[in-house]
Amino acid sequence: MSHGYPMIQSTSLNAQVANSRVLLHLDKIGKTYQMGEVSVEVLKNISLEILHGELLVMVGPSGSGKTTMLNIIGGMDIPSHGQVWYRDQDIAQATPRELTRFRRRSVGFVFQFYNLIPNLTARENVMVSTEISEDPLDVDDVLDMVGLSERKDHFPAQMSGGEQQRVAIARALAKNPELLLCDEPTGALDFDTGKKVLRLLVNLKNQLGKSILVITHNAAIADAADRVVRIRSGEIIDLHKNEFPRPPEEIVW
Amino acid sequence: MKVLDRKLLREAKASKGLILAITSLVAVGVMCFIYMRSAHRNLTMAKDQYYAQCRMADFWIDVKKVPIAELPELLEIPGLTEIQPRIQFFATVDLERVKYPLNGYVLSLPDDRQNVINDVVLKRGSYFTERRRNEVLVNDAFARKHGLHPGQWIHLILNNRREELFVVGTAISSEFVYLVSPGSITPDPERFGVFYIKHSYAEEVFDMDGACNQVVGLLSPEVRERPDEILRQIENKLDSYGVFSKVPRKDQPSSRFLNDEIRGLGVFATIMPVIFLAVAALVLNVLMARLIDQQRVIVGTLKGLGYSNLQIFGHFTKFGGLIGLIGGLLGCFFGYRMSIFITELYKQFFEFPNLSNQVSVPLYVTAMIISLLCALIGSAQGAYAALKLRPAEAMRPKPPRQGGNIWLERFPRFWNRLSFGWRMVLRNVIRNRLRSSVGLFAAIMGAALLSTGFTLQYCVRYLIDFQFEMISCSDIDLTFKDERGPDALDESRRLPGVDRAEPTLDVACELFNGPHHRKAGITGLASDARLTLPRDLDGNIIRVPKTGLLLTRKIADLLNATVGTTITIVPTKGLRTPRDVPVVAISDSYIGLGVYAKIDYLSGLIDEELAMTGVQLEMDPRTSAYDRFYTEIKQLPALQAFNERASNIKNLMETLINTQDIFIGLITLFAGVIFFSSLLNTSLIGLAERRREVATLRVLGYSQWQVGGYFLRESMILNILGTLLGQPLGYLLVRYLTVVYDTEMFRFPMIWPASVTIKTLLLGTAFALAAHVFVQREINKMDWREALNVKE
Repeated sequence: MSHGYPMIQSTSLNAQVANSRVLLHLDKIGKTYQMGEVSVEVLKNISLEILHGELLVMVGPSGSGKTTMLNIIGGMDIPSHGQVWYRDQDIAQATPRELTRFRRRSVGFVFQFYNLIPNLTARENVMVSTEISEDPLDVDDVLDMVGLSERKDHFPAQMSGGEQQRVAIARALAKNPELLLCDEPTGALDFDTGKKVLRLLVNLKNQLGKSILVITHNAAIADAADRVVRIRSGEIIDLHKNEFPRPPEEIVW
Repeated sequence: MKVLDRKLLREAKASKGLILAITSLVAVGVMCFIYMRSAHRNLTMAKDQYYAQCRMADFWIDVKKVPIAELPELLEIPGLTEIQPRIQFFATVDLERVKYPLNGYVLSLPDDRQNVINDVVLKRGSYFTERRRNEVLVNDAFARKHGLHPGQWIHLILNNRREELFVVGTAISSEFVYLVSPGSITPDPERFGVFYIKHSYAEEVFDMDGACNQVVGLLSPEVRERPDEILRQIENKLDSYGVFSKVPRKDQPSSRFLNDEIRGLGVFATIMPVIFLAVAALVLNVLMARLIDQQRVIVGTLKGLGYSNLQIFGHFTKFGGLIGLIGGLLGCFFGYRMSIFITELYKQFFEFPNLSNQVSVPLYVTAMIISLLCALIGSAQGAYAALKLRPAEAMRPKPPRQGGNIWLERFPRFWNRLSFGWRMVLRNVIRNRLRSSVGLFAAIMGAALLSTGFTLQYCVRYLIDFQFEMISCSDIDLTFKDERGPDALDESRRLPGVDRAEPTLDVACELFNGPHHRKAGITGLASDARLTLPRDLDGNIIRVPKTGLLLTRKIADLLNATVGTTITIVPTKGLRTPRDVPVVAISDSYIGLGVYAKIDYLSGLIDEELAMTGVQLEMDPRTSAYDRFYTEIKQLPALQAFNERASNIKNLMETLINTQDIFIGLITLFAGVIFFSSLLNTSLIGLAERRREVATLRVLGYSQWQVGGYFLRESMILNILGTLLGQPLGYLLVRYLTVVYDTEMFRFPMIWPASVTIKTLLLGTAFALAAHVFVQREINKMDWREALNVKE
């Protein structure tokens, strides 16, 4: 599989070009959880495209289905119905083995609570992901990129929340995936640290051409996005393109 | 090293207490496997090698006297490949430095060194020379005990004559690996020796010109396993010369003891490792289940990062693999040391030319494989839980455990009386079903082992007590060379220091009951005998009937006889007239196959007026009386054997009890490992899971000791319940061992005093308390403020 990183041009999209730039396509997916006798419909007929090299921000309140959607996009969960097209593969129908391969090669996860392995150092936490990748980036380069070259031999407990989140981003990035999925990356961070992390994500998009999906309940972050999708009660209520994404430094929340 | 392996090592280091506990379980299991199998193998190999080296006979036939010229005819019997005539007698030995007479077994060997059946291995000195007719080889253990060495002269009473013999060397032989005097169960090299003399000299002193009184032989390999038919044919051919006994190798006392020991070791080598490795696997399973529970989010994260199920499964099973590896290596090391120790210990009982610990690489490899397999199976089952989780599901915290009622609450009268603490403790024990079951299982196993050890200790002491205090009450037994009349009793009474003398008559017989038959000696006792008192299991004296026989239970069972059965006896000596006699009573005994009758009745059966072959004496307890008695008795030419009860008991105590104490010490240690490790695990895992609960209690104002007390109560419930449930299992184990060691020569009494259960409870509690020290330390060390802030 070849990895291309076309740079985003801020021209308006024409349909054909748009098609060629689609990285991942959700086609009428739904997800229903069975809780005993009650079934809860978390996602209802959602269709959405993620484009090459864009920063897509998904905003919605708690319980709106954001994390479920992220999990489905990332191959961590499967939809109850609908299709999830990644390139020419429907990962909604994929076998567990194919899903593992998809997660290993194509997506990088950044979790809200970082989910670092406590008894591994920053560098080792990143190595957890490079060791299973076929085409990983250099661990030290990545740590340098996220500004942690000085702290790489520290254990998670010895780092601040922002640093831990940067380790988590480095871990996701080091696999060199096409798509970074970030679950509330600033959720557990203070304002300044949150902005630094956001800056890092924007830089990764700009410099490496990664597609990045950020889910958040913090609407202000949407100002930095290329496109914004709003979701409520498992449905998309708005999808719009941000003509002029603002640099994270100018965003206030 | 893979980065996840680093994670593993650091995790292992962080929970080293737990790991140490499980590792020690694995290590003990592997150690038992190694040392018992090694001992088994060492003994088997030493036996095979020794038997081959000495050309161990396949059978022994004792006859009154047969001309050697008649023997070649025997070789016409198909399957009989080689025979060898020997002359054998019992004798007493008079050593200048020993004040009492010693017992000896005199055996003839060819004058010139030949490759004979039951050859000797020389330890010191040389074989017979041509210089003297009266040269002797002394068995090495006896020589060592008495400081005898080549070049010395010793005195034996041979055929009523005090003969002087010249020691040319010391030797051992495969037929005396386990050398016991007739009627004993443990070797006593101080009191009993074997003396090999030249065949020509034996012919001369025992009036056996051109004749022999024992034939030993070899069989062809095809018939070696079923010698009975050939032995019967030999017996028929030698019938006119008076066949006393025919003994195939499997019944030869030394060979039999050795085989029984090897068989017993084989049994233990299976039971012990199975117990330990099963407990280890179960405990490991619990530990893994908890580890994975605790690392649920990490499992989810790894899956999210693209780790496959197999990789994650492999990662966690490596944890078990590590324990299997370390436990296996430790077990191999200590097993190696133990096998050296045990093999040395066996040298106290068995005399081999070269019994040493042989390291078998396949055995150690097998042990490592078993260790790893056990640990991997234990952890794989726990790690499997990690695979079932879908990554998104694993990322979510585990739903809180259901806190419903437990079944005990359905008994409100009981439940409502409990304090809050006890309710919490009981709920925890009952809700953690898997963990509690494993803790209970371990306690059951540990208690079964402990109580087995204690019971065996009681059994052996009881056996010695029963046989040598309750049944045999004489201080000294004298056995005469030949049958004597009533005058012998008067002579004995006149010996200095003798307070009471009772006659005994031993008649070797073959007993028949339909298809069942056995060789046994019938002992005739006087009407007023009180120095031999047959008893039942409860210790009640069973009177010897005026007519008919009193059988001990083992031979009664072997003959399928009960009270009222009429059996046929054929004496092996004398006229050998078959007689039908009733079985009138049955008594119990743990050694040999005893049969009793009144001495006058028995004399009548062999057509004698009143015969005796020995006397039992009650002695004046003063040392001076004994000394005068010894001096006198040493001069008695008619004496064939001299036995002193006190020395028998002392020897039994020294050999049986001391060795047994070592084994019981080991069993106690092993059981301690089980109790300690499993309870430590259960408590530490519980503690790790309930950090918040502990923290909350601390915030509420409970002291660390009170909190520790709840954990102690939990482990004590499992411990006490397990100990009680372990009693029946221990009983079965002892029962099984009494079956394994039930032989014609020796049996275990099955007794189970209440003190065993009490001792087991006390010791189990001590082990539980020892484990709790570590748990309490963890509680004291715990930062409960931090525990409250943990994200769950």
